[in-house]
Amino acid sequence: MVAAPDLRPETHALSLMLAVIAASGAPLLLLDGALKVIAASASFCRDFQIEPAGVPGRRLSALGHGEWNVPQLTSLLEGTASGATEVHAYEFDLKRDGQAPRLLVMNAHKLDYDDKERVRVLLAIADVTAARASDKLKDNLLREKAILLQEVQHRVANSLQIIASILMQSARKVQSEETRGHLRDAHSRLMSIAEVQRHLAASRLGDVELRPYLVQLCKSLSASMIHDAKVLSIEVVVDDSVTQADISVSLGLIVTELVINALKHAFPGHRAGKIVVEYGSHGANWTLSVRDNGIGMQPASADRKPGLGTNIVEALAKRLDAEVQVTGADPGTAVSIVHAQPAVAAVGRSV
Amino acid sequence: MSPKVVLVVEDSPLILMNALDMVEAAGFAGVGAGNADEAIAILDARTDIRLVFTDVEMPGTFDGVKLAHYIRNRWPPIHLIVVSGRVIEGESLLPTGSRFFSKPYDNDTLVKEMTRMLAIIDAAGSGQEV
Repeated sequence: MVAAPDLRPETHALSLMLAVIAASGAPLLLLDGALKVIAASASFCRDFQIEPAGVPGRRLSALGHGEWNVPQLTSLLEGTASGATEVHAYEFDLKRDGQAPRLLVMNAHKLDYDDKERVRVLLAIADVTAARASDKLKDNLLREKAILLQEVQHRVANSLQIIASILMQSARKVQSEETRGHLRDAHSRLMSIAEVQRHLAASRLGDVELRPYLVQLCKSLSASMIHDAKVLSIEVVVDDSVTQADISVSLGLIVTELVINALKHAFPGHRAGKIVVEYGSHGANWTLSVRDNGIGMQPASADRKPGLGTNIVEALAKRLDAEVQVTGADPGTAVSIVHAQPAVAAVGRSV
Repeated sequence: MSPKVVLVVEDSPLILMNALDMVEAAGFAGVGAGNADEAIAILDARTDIRLVFTDVEMPGTFDGVKLAHYIRNRWPPIHLIVVSGRVIEGESLLPTGSRFFSKPYDNDTLVKEMTRMLAIIDAAGSGQEV
């Protein structure tokens, strides 16, 4: 403890107070009305490299090598001592020769106690240099992350654009009508994946609202696959379900495949019709269905292999723990993807 | 009547090539530029460009949004279509009357929009065609 010799503890209370100041972990000074230091915490001397022995009885402005001699601080403390003002979160750069400046936040209060004659001011000092630097670093990192994310989105979009461009160019140049169809399908798949990606980027992390997502996706499929909206249309009927981003990606890809499939097979020869995409959930159970009012399923011939689209749907449904059910819709076809949580079996079974 | 001229501004050569292909397949004449400075030089040099179709993210002094505003100021009759791979863009940032599309864009949708815009020119300025 460092105490001024001319202020010998007269009572236990004073002695206790000086001990409290000395022990303070945060730099703390007790000043008199003339801004002379009565007591300083050990942390103050340590943090600001001031020889403890020389502190008591000296004016604050005379400590160290004069780095505390800042007119503004002095006048604020004088104001506090006279009761005219208080120092509240006053920020100040402590500059010392040969050392990086420290950013300090000061708080000073005139103590209200029995002895009205002897003014006492308590000055608390917090060194926020490191905290501010870390805040700044955090801000910079956040900004950098946002820029990186934008850059990634930009690159992904450009890469998809290059692939889309090549597919469209090839589709125009190729001779075979069948190949042209495959290239167009590939283009549609790509556009719908881009739509999925765009939607996920806009919804950031976490959950995806399925209605706007599937509406947007089907709009994009219509734009790239339906030439006359008066002849063929896609209706989207979705409840208020919200789902995890990765599940929404799989659902989007399933819808893409089933819609492409219906457009390709259900309405031959410019037949008019409608495709309905429906999703509803109840607790953990959900059903996604795509049905059309087209010509209905062709009897499967033994040698006919399932198309790429069917395989994709099967694989995605499996990943979602769901079952694919194909039924005649009279007219047309309905494909449902059903996820049913197994009923809680054997109540009371001990584990 | 000579085909209407569309200037495509795009820094990726592959995308530029395809965009020019798309423009020409739609019956327009295409001119390409790799950045905004090139685009402005072309616009300075020739007076027959009716529509500028530009990407946003490009090297050089101007990005596509700035280029669109610059063109609207200097050559007000030219129609503008802006595309970008970034999600947060929109027509609110662009001069009135211009259209924004996300990348990857659908060729058919873009051609439809170009045709619509250039038809407006025809309706408004019939008789100017020489």
